[in-house]
Amino acid sequence: MKFTIDWLNEYVDTEGVTSAELADHLTMLGLEVDAVTEIFQDLAPIKTALVVSVERHPDADSLSLCQVAVGAETLQIVCGAPNVRAGLVTAIALPGTTLPGGIKIKKSKVRGIESFGMLCSERELGLSTRHSGIMELPADIPQGQSFIEALGLNDTLVEVDLTPNRPDCASVIGIAREVAGVIGRPLILPVESVEAQPSTAAFSVEIESSELCPRYGARLVTGVTIGPSPWWLRKRLLSIGLRPINNVVDITNLVMMEYGQPLHAFDFHKLADKKIVVRHPRKNETDFTTLDGVVRKLDPDMLMICDGEQPVAVAGIMGGMNSEVSDSTTTILLESACFNSISIRKTARKLNLSSEASYRFERGVDPGGCLLAMERAVMLLCDIAGGTAELGGVDKYYGQKPFNTLTLRIKRTSDLLGIPLDYEIIEKALTSIGFRCKQKDADSLWVGAPSFRVDIEREVDLVEEVARLIGYNTIPTTLPTVQLRYPERDTSRTIRAEIGTLLTGIGYFEAINYSFSAEKHLQWLGLAEDDPRCRFVRLINPLNEEQSVMRTMLLPGLLENVQRNINFQKGAIKLFEIGKVFTPTGDNEQPLEKTRCAGVLSGNRFGESSHYHFKEQDVDILDAKGAVECLLHELRFLGVGVLAPLSFALPEQGRMESFTDPLQFLVIKDGEHEVGYLARIIPGVLRKFGIKQDVFFFDLDLDALCQLRSVAKNFTSLPVFPAVNRDIAMLVPEHVAAGALVDAVLQTREPLIEQCEIFDVYQGSKIQQGYKSVALSVTYRSAQKTLTEKNVEKVHVKIVNMLGSKFEGTLREG
Amino acid sequence: MEQELLSLQAEARKNLDQIAEQGQLEDFRIRYLGRKGQFSVIMRELGAVSPEERPRLGQLANTIKAEIEKVFAEKKAVLGSSPQSGTKGAALIDLSLPGRYPERGRLHPVTQIMNEVCSIFEALGFSVAEGPDVEHDHYNFEALNIPAHHPARDMHDTFYVSDSILLRTHTSPMQARIMESQQPPLRVIAPGKVYRCDSDITHTPMFHQVEGFLVDTKVSFADLKGILTVFTQKMFDKDLDLRFRPSFFPFTEPSAEVDIACVICGGSGCRVCKQTGWLEILGAGMIDPEVFKMVGYDPEIYSGFAFGLGIERIAMLKYGINDIRLYYENDLRFLSQF
Repeated sequence: MKFTIDWLNEYVDTEGVTSAELADHLTMLGLEVDAVTEIFQDLAPIKTALVVSVERHPDADSLSLCQVAVGAETLQIVCGAPNVRAGLVTAIALPGTTLPGGIKIKKSKVRGIESFGMLCSERELGLSTRHSGIMELPADIPQGQSFIEALGLNDTLVEVDLTPNRPDCASVIGIAREVAGVIGRPLILPVESVEAQPSTAAFSVEIESSELCPRYGARLVTGVTIGPSPWWLRKRLLSIGLRPINNVVDITNLVMMEYGQPLHAFDFHKLADKKIVVRHPRKNETDFTTLDGVVRKLDPDMLMICDGEQPVAVAGIMGGMNSEVSDSTTTILLESACFNSISIRKTARKLNLSSEASYRFERGVDPGGCLLAMERAVMLLCDIAGGTAELGGVDKYYGQKPFNTLTLRIKRTSDLLGIPLDYEIIEKALTSIGFRCKQKDADSLWVGAPSFRVDIEREVDLVEEVARLIGYNTIPTTLPTVQLRYPERDTSRTIRAEIGTLLTGIGYFEAINYSFSAEKHLQWLGLAEDDPRCRFVRLINPLNEEQSVMRTMLLPGLLENVQRNINFQKGAIKLFEIGKVFTPTGDNEQPLEKTRCAGVLSGNRFGESSHYHFKEQDVDILDAKGAVECLLHELRFLGVGVLAPLSFALPEQGRMESFTDPLQFLVIKDGEHEVGYLARIIPGVLRKFGIKQDVFFFDLDLDALCQLRSVAKNFTSLPVFPAVNRDIAMLVPEHVAAGALVDAVLQTREPLIEQCEIFDVYQGSKIQQGYKSVALSVTYRSAQKTLTEKNVEKVHVKIVNMLGSKFEGTLREG
Repeated sequence: MEQELLSLQAEARKNLDQIAEQGQLEDFRIRYLGRKGQFSVIMRELGAVSPEERPRLGQLANTIKAEIEKVFAEKKAVLGSSPQSGTKGAALIDLSLPGRYPERGRLHPVTQIMNEVCSIFEALGFSVAEGPDVEHDHYNFEALNIPAHHPARDMHDTFYVSDSILLRTHTSPMQARIMESQQPPLRVIAPGKVYRCDSDITHTPMFHQVEGFLVDTKVSFADLKGILTVFTQKMFDKDLDLRFRPSFFPFTEPSAEVDIACVICGGSGCRVCKQTGWLEILGAGMIDPEVFKMVGYDPEIYSGFAFGLGIERIAMLKYGINDIRLYYENDLRFLSQF
């Protein structure tokens, strides 16, 4: 909602209140002021000027050579306007001035004759589209003055961001009422009341759907002369950014802004059968051309204003071309009606058409105010357009509500707001903006809400009014008295937080991607059409193709991030994301939402760590494995490895992913159940994402991890006796997994074996082709005694022999 | 012999005095005190001395050697740790070199702010609950007193999945979900992702909110002001000015917006606060009786307040981030700043 301070002053005297104070008052009343701007500042250099004499330009028939008085000077100006004449007061742009359209005025020669400025048309000044001649200002305006001051254009525009519950403030009078209340000055209305008019026979109104049209008022004004509006009226509209059109249309717009009541003027002679019918379109009425020249498709639910034959307006939204007021119009049928807000809203949506009128009807127009606004407009039509109001009119009023009296409890209000209140305080607050109050009993009062306050229906609505009017900042600030209760934490949140700490601790940055993704990304991964991850929760109204489905995997988003970071020359990328993936369950059902944790890594292993200490090395699949090991270990799940429930395993036969390197692919298992996987992504897939370097990833099912049991922290006595370390270097066929040797050692469950680790794997010229050397370090320890060489040797030999026979291995010498 | 010992003593002392760098100590040790050093050479010569003289000279040699060793040890302590035996001429450590530690990652700024918000409310006794991103129209709108065709739906540009299933436009559905299944007193916050089909310099189609509500008997608007004042001051670390002003949400009444004094200009007016000196940081209000009725609470017995805040907005204000799109590009140059 826009208005200017000068306009506001017509209804409430704000003398002595600065625009900043006014804005603050409105904001604190819940009418949030978005902007306060001085308007027409771009016209500040324009001056008024008097044309003293006009001669024909010696070398051009269409140009005039004028002497123009501006202040003490008389300037020679070449002008092409047909209406330039001696005695005309107009607007001049002197050399050095830049016009609103960006044209810079310079001293120039026009066909050999010097011109010291430009006389301006309204279009050149950005005031209208009129360009048939230079502006004609009232003759009593003195020349040489500032144009905006002479026309009273200097004003302050205030823009209020209205909340949907306050349609009454979509009017300058509505705003003025609030201002009058808060600064304690009277509200001045141009029309305060209107007498009921007897029905006239000059035209008739039929309402076929009265539930959609609670009130329809209409008046006839004859003898109207269509022409430009007087300056004061055009100025009002211009000041809030509305384009003046002609006196009749301008009046309806002005009154709509004043009262918040949309009005429409029909050319009465264009209405067939002198008749208005409010109805739905007939089957054959499918197309309708609105005032803006667009052909609209009608549907049977829309409400139309029709004459005896056909639709002439979309009710409450926009008039039609066929009944538009034109220069030849002499008789006006003025409509001031009220329409059902939901119906208007639906129609505006379907037509994708909104107007100042539909904005107001959608939010709720007071049916009680129709006639006031109509009376005001009729008065202006008579004053300005020279019309004569036909006595009487039509007023079909179906939706008259019984006067709404509510009971407001004083204690209830005080308790809800947390501030002690009494009758006087509440009464003073509510009556300041037109409510009526009467004491009912010791603790309550009757409150009558004005009809324009369509938002007031319940006691709590009044409580809010009281709070708003006494000011939120006068309400004290207290802390609630509550029963102490321990807020339980949910496991998933705790685990997510721990994962965040752990992964950032080992160099991963957290990413957050949109929950929606592009279908094509999953095609890039090469997923088969029947892959469950290709069943999407699809958006009906996505912003674009890239965000059209809810994601089923975290990986594509992370790959996009990798690509972006490589583009910005990041040599080391480690990212993780914890987020939901979505699987559809059925039509009109909520999908399954599963939380996963995925990570991607690419480029230098040590990232931004000092390159002096950490030499550049590219990450490999074991970095991905390490990150997962770290997580599983630190989250204290029941151990990872051959003797524990969790394990890393090669994928079973048939467990394939189209986007992973089959030789660098591990699944993480809880017993037989897969809880995640990690792999190298194949270059072909990466190329589709625009990535030319190796990328590894891991992807864990967080919901499954949350189900895992963790190891309680339980102290084990520190060993008393020393350990003995023995190394074994086994030559085994190259296909044997080094980890299998460790597993085999641990699986012997020899009580003296405390630990077994791989410390080297070697393949090369020094050993037989087809073989590799795996060096293990075995730690022996007894809880009962210091081990002797003999004790160890016995077990060690057994281990070596076992490895030899199990893996066709031999002990490597020296 | 005796003369030899004494001059060796004098020479050794003199040389030791002149040593100024740790690196020279090892040369000294080898030259005088090592197995093939000068003292060892003299000791071996003791065998050639007459038996009468041997004990006296032997003792003298030992005393002198002990003294030199003692002085050497002192010198070594002064110059720092000893070079390890066996390594030749260990280099002096250049302390201007960078310290050695592996790089750490960081949490996303949205997560950091989210954690901070949640922990402030957890400390005030609120529990944390999470709900579905893909929500029923009922919980997102109807249960919050926003029927179909209510103009307030304009405030929510909604992504739809089907007629009645949508991406939640706010975290407020958790109010209805929790109240439906639990009885007061309730103190809950609900963080999560929300979605609006809107994308420009100041809007991303997905963002994060935290919803909070407290329901009990005798909860007042003054209490709402109290809790949010505590929160705001903890969040922004200072005794910031804040103001509550009337607003409108269909599921609260009275409704309020909370503004803090602009953290950029301190209240004098700047581009960020649109010259008002105030920044809007959250919406709140007393839970509307209609919402209570829909979950079967008697609004005559219970009252409560609810509030919702946008995490990205708070992060922008706290960290001075000026482009909301940066949040979801996951550019490491951005992520590593927080």
